[in-house]
Amino acid sequence: MNVHKLWEYREYVNVNGMMLTSELISLLQNSLTLLQIENHFTHVQYWGQLYAIDADYHIAVGITNDAITDRKYFYTTDFKFWGLLPKPKRKYKLLSLITTFPFRGDPSLKIKVLDESLEENHPERCTLMKEENRLAATISNISDEAEICARGQLIQQPDGCVVINPNYYGLTAPEAKLLKSYLHIRQPQQRWNTNLLTRQDYNYSMDILDSIDQDIPSGCWSLSMEKSGSVAYLRSLYWPGMTFFHKVRTPDAGFLYVGSGRKNMDVPFLL
Amino acid sequence: MSQSFLLEPDIIAATENVMPDLNNDLVMAKNFLKQQSAATGDTLYDHLVDVVHKILSQKPPDVVDQFEQYSWAVKQEKFRPNFDLLNDVYLAPPQLALVRRLDEMFRLIASKNQKLDELGEEEQELDLEEDNVKPRVADLIEHNYYFREAGYGLPDSECYALYIALNMLAIKEPVATVRFFGKIYGTKANYYIAETDLTIEELDRRIREFEMKDMPGEGEDMEEGRAQEAEEQKEIMGEGEMREDKPKEPVPPKLPPEPVSTWQPTPPVPVERPGQGVNKKVYWVCSQPGEPWVCLPDVTPQQLVVARLTARCMTGDLDAEVITFPPFEGTERNYLRAQLARLAAATAVSPQGFFTYGSGEEEEDIDLEEGAGDMEFNPNPFYQGHTLKDLLDPNLTYWVHHGRHILKQGRTIWWNPNADMQEEGLEEEEDEGPPPAVPESGPSLFSPLAEDARVDGMRAWTPRQSSALAPQRALAVIRSTLWPGAVAYATTGKRSECMYVGWGLKAQIPNWSPLQLPRPQDEYPVGPEVMEMADPTFADEEAYRIAHLPPPPPPELPGEGEGFGEEEEDED
Repeated sequence: MNVHKLWEYREYVNVNGMMLTSELISLLQNSLTLLQIENHFTHVQYWGQLYAIDADYHIAVGITNDAITDRKYFYTTDFKFWGLLPKPKRKYKLLSLITTFPFRGDPSLKIKVLDESLEENHPERCTLMKEENRLAATISNISDEAEICARGQLIQQPDGCVVINPNYYGLTAPEAKLLKSYLHIRQPQQRWNTNLLTRQDYNYSMDILDSIDQDIPSGCWSLSMEKSGSVAYLRSLYWPGMTFFHKVRTPDAGFLYVGSGRKNMDVPFLL
Repeated sequence: MSQSFLLEPDIIAATENVMPDLNNDLVMAKNFLKQQSAATGDTLYDHLVDVVHKILSQKPPDVVDQFEQYSWAVKQEKFRPNFDLLNDVYLAPPQLALVRRLDEMFRLIASKNQKLDELGEEEQELDLEEDNVKPRVADLIEHNYYFREAGYGLPDSECYALYIALNMLAIKEPVATVRFFGKIYGTKANYYIAETDLTIEELDRRIREFEMKDMPGEGEDMEEGRAQEAEEQKEIMGEGEMREDKPKEPVPPKLPPEPVSTWQPTPPVPVERPGQGVNKKVYWVCSQPGEPWVCLPDVTPQQLVVARLTARCMTGDLDAEVITFPPFEGTERNYLRAQLARLAAATAVSPQGFFTYGSGEEEEDIDLEEGAGDMEFNPNPFYQGHTLKDLLDPNLTYWVHHGRHILKQGRTIWWNPNADMQEEGLEEEEDEGPPPAVPESGPSLFSPLAEDARVDGMRAWTPRQSSALAPQRALAVIRSTLWPGAVAYATTGKRSECMYVGWGLKAQIPNWSPLQLPRPQDEYPVGPEVMEMADPTFADEEAYRIAHLPPPPPPELPGEGEGFGEEEEDED
């Protein structure tokens, strides 16, 4: 969510009963605006909150040019110092999925992860991982699977750069009821023409991203229209706590993750 | 050059001019732009005029970057149907349905309030009685304010309508107290949950109904079952007799007796009566404020046991089928009720001393040993609040459960299965009875959260202070890691409340694993007759034949008949 619009969005954001307090919004706007100036970002978004035992992590995203490849993630526990998250390694991304215990709240903490799928005496069966790396990997996992935007919110310019559409008008009410109108914010994993040609009214600048209706199993996104059909909410079952909202016919849209950073593996049983 | 645009007659004149001329070229170009498209009948000239007009009148920033979109938007506007052409077609905004419901609710509440006002003016002396009748509705708006301070809660738009809806529930239904329990998400619709106590008359009526339905009903079922079994046995016997009567038909080989199942269903754990244990509170749900509240049925221990073994999302439809293993009796309304019972047992927390046994006004002699599981408790009038430091203590010794622990049996008060067994045993025979059940016991009421089971080595609740910058108005909030979405707040004063907003799923670490299917039973005892063994080879058969050859005939034959007889015997 755009940091400068948090005050307008606070009535719409409700993630599992969590709402933004005035103090949180004030702190975020102050510190993130400073962060934006220091790093020359064109956009700064509040990404969410990861529950930890001692102090919760707050995550922010800075975007310079390209809204997909130029994303930088920052974390903080006290809103005074925002640390840049390291690049997630593939190894840690896998390990963070099997780590069950909650975050501690100390990024320098070293944790041991036991990979039970490996045999005894395998050198990588028990691996050390810094909590900072785990955080980066978890956020990267969530981003890949559950960061979404409404169709048209991100557009590709002729030079290939994907930018946040400044003249976005929002989805219409019938469009907002279709999962097809919501796209993953990630490098498209499907062929470009698949994404383009599954729509009748395809648009070269908008339909570059994967739509979420192809996620498996169907039903892993719960779409509900609330406030008498004027706001669409999308909740991910895989990442409980990931909520996307879009106010129909307005440019107001955004996602927020508030949760423990654990993937819910029970989704096939839940439906 | 002075005149760059020409009028229509000039165009005609210009086309006849053959000399190269700037005006002529312009006219040619304009004519080209004015060519109508065969598909839409539109011309590019008009379109460009519209686009330029729109851009100049609306003056958007950075038009050049979004020029294509602008052009597209202009085209789309042309295709918007003009409903004015039809007679007075008015498209109602989508909010209409909701507004109708809310309006009805607001009218009801307003009329009720008016009536109460009139009554109050007339009979001010009889106010006491009125107070007794009036149901108590927990002030959701105030509690929500504190929740919002702490970073949880509901949006204001939802909260107010919901508060009015709770009042409607209090007016329409026979309830004594109403409290907002929380919100449970479903894949198609969400549930708002109200937790109520029934009025004394309604509770009595339900208890009577429960006793009428339960006691004789179960007996009948059992008798019917027995009668059926007896009939079946008779039928089997009858068939056997019939076969014996017909000796002419080939007699079928004698079958071994049909195995009789010795399995007896364990007696079902009795349901706790309304107003007791897990059924102490009655829950009402609706999916939109303003919709009629639906009462959820009482929960049975079996449902609780199954609900603990399964993981399932709500759909938002109360009559949806619940397909789980082990099978769940009932529809989603029963499942929701079971989950609510589990939630209420696990997440109802309050600061120590907030509630107390009895009325709290007098020091009563309470025998904790006897019925602590089902003791009445009430808000403590002498509760003074704790300091923030105490409430935020990571050991959580100042927070206690006020939800009754549900035993493995699915009840809050342990039921002794052997009590019934002994009676049955006397009737039939003194068989080897089931081993005497060990009474289950859970943590008593008002046990501190510090004694909660740990989640993966961590505490089940995380305390947080609501504000770091303004500690003088901060309050303590704790959230559950076991039931994500369950929160409770307590101020340093006398306010405390808990709420649940979430999917109604327990966090199971590392993840939920479905119950294993039971092992298939043996169809028959495995013995030498049914064992598989290798076929004999030719050599084996040969050896067998030689070994079993008839003994060589004796050298002297006393008589042919006898010899034949002997041979026959041998062959047999």
